[in-house]
Amino acid sequence: MTTDEGIVYDRSLLGVETQIGTFELTREMILGFAKSTGETNPRYLGDDNGAGDIVAPPTICNVFVSGVSRPDINLEFGEIGFFAGQSIECKAEIRPGDVLSASTKLDNVYVKTGRSGKMVFAVWETQFRNQDDVTVALVTESFVRRNKNR
Amino acid sequence: MLLDLHTHSVASDDSRATVEQYVKWVNVLRRKGKSIDGFVLTEHRQFDHDVDYTSLASDDGIIILKGAELDTDTGHFLVYGISEEITDELDFSDVNMSAQNLVDICDTYGGIAIPAHPGRAGIGFAEYLDSGVTGFETIKSVERLNGSNRPGEGEKAESLIKAKGYLGTGGSDAHIVSAIGICMTSFDKEIKNESDLVQELRNGRFTAVRLES
Amino acid sequence: MKKNLYFEDVEIGDDIGPIKRSVTDEDVIEFVSVREKEITPSRFTSNEVANREGMPEAIVPGPMNIALMSQILTDWSDTVCLLKIDVVFRQTVPHNIDLTFSGIVTDKDETGDSTKLECDVVMENSDGVKLVIGTGVIALPNKP
Repeated sequence: MTTDEGIVYDRSLLGVETQIGTFELTREMILGFAKSTGETNPRYLGDDNGAGDIVAPPTICNVFVSGVSRPDINLEFGEIGFFAGQSIECKAEIRPGDVLSASTKLDNVYVKTGRSGKMVFAVWETQFRNQDDVTVALVTESFVRRNKNR
Repeated sequence: MLLDLHTHSVASDDSRATVEQYVKWVNVLRRKGKSIDGFVLTEHRQFDHDVDYTSLASDDGIIILKGAELDTDTGHFLVYGISEEITDELDFSDVNMSAQNLVDICDTYGGIAIPAHPGRAGIGFAEYLDSGVTGFETIKSVERLNGSNRPGEGEKAESLIKAKGYLGTGGSDAHIVSAIGICMTSFDKEIKNESDLVQELRNGRFTAVRLES
Repeated sequence: MKKNLYFEDVEIGDDIGPIKRSVTDEDVIEFVSVREKEITPSRFTSNEVANREGMPEAIVPGPMNIALMSQILTDWSDTVCLLKIDVVFRQTVPHNIDLTFSGIVTDKDETGDSTKLECDVVMENSDGVKLVIGTGVIALPNKP
């Protein structure tokens, strides 16, 4: 397997679950998300006037995932960070008015090399539950830090 | 015999394909009239001696062999014929390992190390040679065809091959199921196991090919 | 979008899409504004900030790319239920370029225990370079 040897970061955070917030998902947010991503499916957009019963598009959790402040792992590497990959497991429908709470934990930190040179990846697992304590989504995200292109 | 010499399963961090899915996809390709006899799993920075795909392979008459793709100080290298001695001598997870030492260890212990996607920026062998890196006299082959190359990377690999007189292998560098077999290596002789593979690579009886359309 | 696609209609190797589109500056601003009431210039909305961070131009946010990747599956048929999407970003995605999204069915549960399908999904630029790759797991209903 890959190793994190030689990478300086706060290892005490590995596997530690942290609550990262509660978010209310409004109908306007769902419609805005769907419209901006070019959705045409009435399941997410409602009727021509945006009315009627809708559910959220399956990747809606990203509205919150990207905005949350995770614990700082104090990684001592790289000048710039990117979103490297993501898995979203959709466990239940998300609807307007749902209040989602999220908890996250650092799963892994590892190093590799690529076209941009040395890169360090941090992998987080985030769980979203709704107001009824039903898990609606499991999200695994990978963030990479590297130096800027010269 | 046609083998894809460069594939990644979910054991690699950036792949989303299982070995079982690759096997199913090889059968899909065959049903569509394409020729492919097997593939080599070249997981990033690791090698597991205990993983055994024999039964999975034999069920469908597909050759599944194991190698690795290692990060080195001179770019990425594909390694075949990995023995206990090689994994004892080298830390496969070391992204700064000496490529020359890797080549030497493989030469000594029955393996072979081949520069992967040599025309790629940052992790391709050609860039390092261009910057004045020397040595590597025992390298006779590089990866000529790589299914994940971006524009310009294949051309740079061809220039290197022409300048150095190298032979060239082919591999898809598949990270998803449907990419397997896009590029392959055609061997004159039958390959049944890793030692056959190393022997034929050292003998130079192969050519890089693309999956026929 | 296909109407009433059923599990029995699909074979391994079936193509999904392609869909061609580009992501405009306005699309990105609209996406970002779902989360931010007042948009601060970032690598997603400002070429200047992107340049300072070593990129030639502003890029499409990763979460937006994932939403676009999921659409290749959810737009296939009104009967598709997306269970999982898992993507790897191989290269940043600039605004206003031609993008092709495609998918292919790579696995089908033939045991009768479920109606799940696995699919590869890919976003390519006009040179055929794969910018984002991934897999999706979807479910389709059985034929009535």
